[in-house]
Amino acid sequence: MAQAFDGKLEKLDHFRWKIPQTYKPGMRVPGLIYASESLLPGILNDKALEQVANVAFLPGIVKYSLAMPDIHWGYGFSIGGVAATDPDNGGVISPGGVGYDINCGVRLVRSDLMLDDLKPRLETLVNSLFNNVPSGVGSSGDIRASAKDEEEIFLKGAMWAVKKGYGVKEDLEFTEDKGAIEGADPSKVSKRAYERGKDQSGTLGSGNHFLEIQVIDEIYDEKKADAFGLFKGQVTMMIHSGSRGLGYQICDDYVKSMVGCLDRYKISVPDRQLACAPVNSPEGRAYLGGMKCAANYAWTNRQCLMHLTRGVFEKVFNKSWSALGLRLVYDVAHNIAKMEKHKVEGKEKLLCVHRKGATRAFPPGHVDLPEQYKQAGQPVIIPGDMGTVSYVLAGAPGAMQETFGSTCHGAGRCLSRSSAIKACHGRQIDKELFNKSGIIIRAKTRGTLAEEAPEAYKDVNEVVDVVHGAGLSVKVARMRPLGVIKG
Amino acid sequence: MKPFELIEHTADVGIKVRGSTLTELFENAARGMFCVIAGEGYKAQGSKVEKKIEIYKNRDNYEEILVSWLSELLYIFNREKIYFNDFRILSLNDSGLKAEASGINIDLYQSNIYTEIKAVTFHNLKIEEDVDGFSCTIIFDV
Repeated sequence: MAQAFDGKLEKLDHFRWKIPQTYKPGMRVPGLIYASESLLPGILNDKALEQVANVAFLPGIVKYSLAMPDIHWGYGFSIGGVAATDPDNGGVISPGGVGYDINCGVRLVRSDLMLDDLKPRLETLVNSLFNNVPSGVGSSGDIRASAKDEEEIFLKGAMWAVKKGYGVKEDLEFTEDKGAIEGADPSKVSKRAYERGKDQSGTLGSGNHFLEIQVIDEIYDEKKADAFGLFKGQVTMMIHSGSRGLGYQICDDYVKSMVGCLDRYKISVPDRQLACAPVNSPEGRAYLGGMKCAANYAWTNRQCLMHLTRGVFEKVFNKSWSALGLRLVYDVAHNIAKMEKHKVEGKEKLLCVHRKGATRAFPPGHVDLPEQYKQAGQPVIIPGDMGTVSYVLAGAPGAMQETFGSTCHGAGRCLSRSSAIKACHGRQIDKELFNKSGIIIRAKTRGTLAEEAPEAYKDVNEVVDVVHGAGLSVKVARMRPLGVIKG
Repeated sequence: MKPFELIEHTADVGIKVRGSTLTELFENAARGMFCVIAGEGYKAQGSKVEKKIEIYKNRDNYEEILVSWLSELLYIFNREKIYFNDFRILSLNDSGLKAEASGINIDLYQSNIYTEIKAVTFHNLKIEEDVDGFSCTIIFDV
């Protein structure tokens, strides 16, 4: 059974806590946790900190094993974990450091609609989205991809969808890595993975995946909000989904094969789920090639979901999506490993950055940002729970200095699914949220509603205050949910 | 001694499994996994299907065989829509296992009781032996 953390955290300042390298023999670097005094008791109660210490065992890990304030107990890595390894120094890549839902991520679409324009049609819109966007476990989509298409999706990502007419070129500009990461290798995807990915493009999935209609109720930084096309009272739409069965299978295949690498490369880690191989080994390269296929598939999936959603808006409002101003603000990955250039002790190095429940947060001026966002920094999309609020942040210089260009990814769970179901026993979460806040919720199953109830999550406001206060990313806008579709 | 019970995990789902023999442990782990998928007390109705499952591992490691066994059942469940409810391990040793599993052909995706398991993880998985037999805790990514 997983151990709870039984060491002592060193408080560095209001937002930073250190797990000393001496906590466990075998740690190659200390742990660094971003949290406030008020979030800390919840974090200590969980088993996540032990996982932060375990990640510090990875060969070639640079500076720290990092944890964002939305940290909670995962498997292998904690959720909310960031670790960068240096391939020139034996650095490894770990499929568990990305997770099964490879390139699970979020995209935010803005509109020209104001709350009053939406209100009379909100229920129609939510019902229509629920009926027209395939959700639920293992659901198959209307957007069909042949085996040949699937290979093209692996290589070209969201560009495939745009070529098919499911969006426009401009959408790619506003997607992390333009919706396709280079170096995908379809030959590294197993037959089983191919099979599972075949008919799930354009499907939402289940669990914490969702589609949400929101209204911006607070702007914190007018200039950045303006650059992102956001303003108070505006209707926005958020999509949270990933690579579905394809990603699960690719991760599963490589965790199993990399368990064997631990002996082969004489790597010692305290948990087999941290199975890994040197980035520059045949096994490491094979995983990267396969993982990138799933990442590109996930961007295609979110692009297809956005296309379906735009179509529903067009029908409900009887206007084209471009006339409604349904422009993609940005799409971020929050389960991924990337080869990125970062400064280590004054020298630029190419590192393998694992983000397991963490978001890239590149600051103003970064070369990878679209021209329109060069001054504002990268939009960071932070979904909260379905009853509270979500945020748009912007990447800040602190992230490059401390966290390999990373920040938090959401509210982070604080209750297990079974505790959430117990806490919600006999309650109707959808009715409660409608009566309290007027939020219209449609879900495939009542179980999902209870598991995803607002009390199962930390307070996203507190989480965001920590990354803002620590200078990893800055607050730009806050959105309140109006309608939610759950898988 | 309960064959399996659900345990608390913040993000995912876990089961604590016991068995008087290793074979029983493997069978109970499979029962536990399908209990996570469809809930306790679920009775599937439909046509019965039999499957033969063989796992080969050239490593002296029962944890890896256990994860492969459960992953294989999960794969067949996803691909062929079979809800397994009966498991018979025919042989189990450090080079693999042979088993038969039977279940009902049913598409649980459309039902509202279904929990999706993305994968069977190795997270802190260790098969332990004591006077009562064998036990382990398995975490599923859901």
